[in-house]
Amino acid sequence: MSLMPSLDINPQRRSLLKAAAASVAVGAGGTLAFPAIAQAKPFAGVKLRGAAYQHGFFNILRKYIPEFEQQTGMTVDLQLSAFPVYNQQADLELSSGGSAWDFCNVTFILAARWVAAGLLANLSDFAADRKLTPASWNPDDFVKGAQLPYLDKAGKAYGFAWEGGAMLMGISRTDLMKKRGVEAPRTFDELMKVAEAIHGQDGGSGPVTGFVSSNLHHWFLPPYVQGFGGDFFVNPPTDIKPALDSAASVQATDFYARLLSRYSPQGVLGYTEDQARAALIGGRSNIFIHSSSWVSAMLTSPDSKVKDTARVIRMPAGPKGDFPASNSQGLGIPKNAKNKEAAWEFIKWTLSPELTARIVKDTGHPSICRRSVIESAEYKRINTINGQDLGKLYLEVLEQPGKTHNYMAYRTVKEFPLVGDVVNKAVERVVSGQQPAAESMKAAQDAALNALRRAGVKV
Amino acid sequence: MPAASYEGQRRRFVRLAIAPSLVFLLVVAGLPTLFLLVTSLTPGALVNPGSLGDFSEPLRNYKLLGGDERFVGSLVVQARLSLYTVVLQVLLGTGLALLVHSGQDRWKSLRHLFVIPMVLPPIVVAVIWKLVYTPDISPIYQAARALGFALPALTTHVDFALWAIVIADTWEWAPFTFLMVLAALQTLPAEYVEAARMDGADAWRVFGHIVLPYIAPVLLVCTLFRLIDSIKAFPLIFLLTGGGPGSVTEVTNYYAYLVAFNFGELGYSSAITVVLLAATVLISWGAMRLSRNAGAAE
Repeated sequence: MSLMPSLDINPQRRSLLKAAAASVAVGAGGTLAFPAIAQAKPFAGVKLRGAAYQHGFFNILRKYIPEFEQQTGMTVDLQLSAFPVYNQQADLELSSGGSAWDFCNVTFILAARWVAAGLLANLSDFAADRKLTPASWNPDDFVKGAQLPYLDKAGKAYGFAWEGGAMLMGISRTDLMKKRGVEAPRTFDELMKVAEAIHGQDGGSGPVTGFVSSNLHHWFLPPYVQGFGGDFFVNPPTDIKPALDSAASVQATDFYARLLSRYSPQGVLGYTEDQARAALIGGRSNIFIHSSSWVSAMLTSPDSKVKDTARVIRMPAGPKGDFPASNSQGLGIPKNAKNKEAAWEFIKWTLSPELTARIVKDTGHPSICRRSVIESAEYKRINTINGQDLGKLYLEVLEQPGKTHNYMAYRTVKEFPLVGDVVNKAVERVVSGQQPAAESMKAAQDAALNALRRAGVKV
Repeated sequence: MPAASYEGQRRRFVRLAIAPSLVFLLVVAGLPTLFLLVTSLTPGALVNPGSLGDFSEPLRNYKLLGGDERFVGSLVVQARLSLYTVVLQVLLGTGLALLVHSGQDRWKSLRHLFVIPMVLPPIVVAVIWKLVYTPDISPIYQAARALGFALPALTTHVDFALWAIVIADTWEWAPFTFLMVLAALQTLPAEYVEAARMDGADAWRVFGHIVLPYIAPVLLVCTLFRLIDSIKAFPLIFLLTGGGPGSVTEVTNYYAYLVAFNFGELGYSSAITVVLLAATVLISWGAMRLSRNAGAAE
């Protein structure tokens, strides 16, 4: 007898099968048995395909996915690529209207473009449908600041955040600061003074630099621009005329470039995030202002040499206010996905309060976006390290754009990559001594205007 | 006529024999090039799928290129990079080939080592030089510090960044000239050199009057091959400098990559690529003419 299923249906055999099924149904409790079985495996046989970039969260998630497959009957094929590779693949896949993926990562820097171009499915409808989503799933539980990139003008969500990043200040050498008689900086002026006080001090295994950063200047510069009272655009997202040559932008660029050229390691312009993190957790650089997961590595990484002298606090405020950057990454469904309901089932499960809480409890993974979990006692217990409540800082920063005005709106402009690239070049020119800040930002303004006009934007 | 019939059959056979290769070439190279050309006539953008079929202003991208300072700047950087790398590679490769050919055993034993850089995958070469140029971990920087002096960070210094690429590219591709010239030297009839020496010619005269004219066609081919190839210097720039600091090392193909994949402007990037392709075709055509003329003169 063949083990392969046969397509030839023998009426006698079918009758026997029907009879057998009926017997099972009756035996299991009569008429209720069939619906119960159907509900238990609603997506049996569905093969769900998704893509995202390589991130620790997905490595964690993979350990739980067999449970989901067991519950739903579907199989999940999750492809992970390096961040830039994924972004290129996703840009091509979504813009060409492909249906290869049922769900995908909605990358923060591309989210505005994808949402505006209608490349993603509206998830608010899924979340509001009580047949598909229980009320307890509560989409409003996601921290508002983290959800902003995935909302259209009408407030409909095209992604739900699985990862949040809140810009915090990591200080690795409080021992040296104490020795030099300086406190943790709370203002831009104090930041410069602390960087100066520590730069070149002997850290035990060589001189320590006062500051360190990486080559993502379009991410690091805006809090300084905003702190001096400016922004990248005149009034984003409605008026996206660049404002790179404003007095505030020039002042901020000059300030940030001084931190890099005077108080940072040699070759800092070529530093990747990993290099900057290594300098921080190795105690070779004193201050790194970046997303929470990067700077809190001082306290959590087994490679950290500065666990006893490290502090994580809010980044300094500028003369015109406090604008720490924040970001998030979301999960969404491509507009032309073949298995939208199954994909929603997966997203719903992945970002459910229950699984999120379990992940936090089992692994300590901190950068989640469910408020109810972040505010839980368990989260606080896990994320209080050396007496420092990292969860509180994280939530404060993540909430900030939703509380005040959405100062992160500049990142939701779909043409932001054009302007961001121009800003990177401008900062590099100043730090490498090719141009003073005013000249470089004037050139950046002209370049940004030209690039936007070329892309068809009326500015 | 039996002869004509035979000739006709021969031609038909040749056409049939070549046809599969031509069809393959057309599919592999011709169609993508055609697609590139067609895309360059549109304002195609990744986030606006309909724009790839918009031919309302077909020459818009080409008109914009002239006013794009970054594009023009990238052409200048490309020209400088090509000039420096080709000259250095030809000189260094020829020098090494002459050393090995000189017959000294210590050089001959190193012959195999010289070609290693050329056979490494380009990205591996870039990683090696990334390690060399990173002040935190580079043994060169550590040695310099131990000796009490500080080296500048080459890849982020405005005066040295392009030279950092030139050095790495020369290390990778000088072996190409080395191999070609060495092969030519090994076919140089020994009696020419012996006769010149018997007539009292010193080493410089032998080189200038016998060796150099003999290897000149090979040097020409090497120069042209490397010139064409230098336009493809992508991995080193991608990994070592990212085109910076500012736009100091941003060559045209790197700019085209940024425009396509960071900004999503496929149409404009295609126009840049078409211009680059045209330049490469022109150089290749010039190379073939020069090579043919050199052959005829010989």
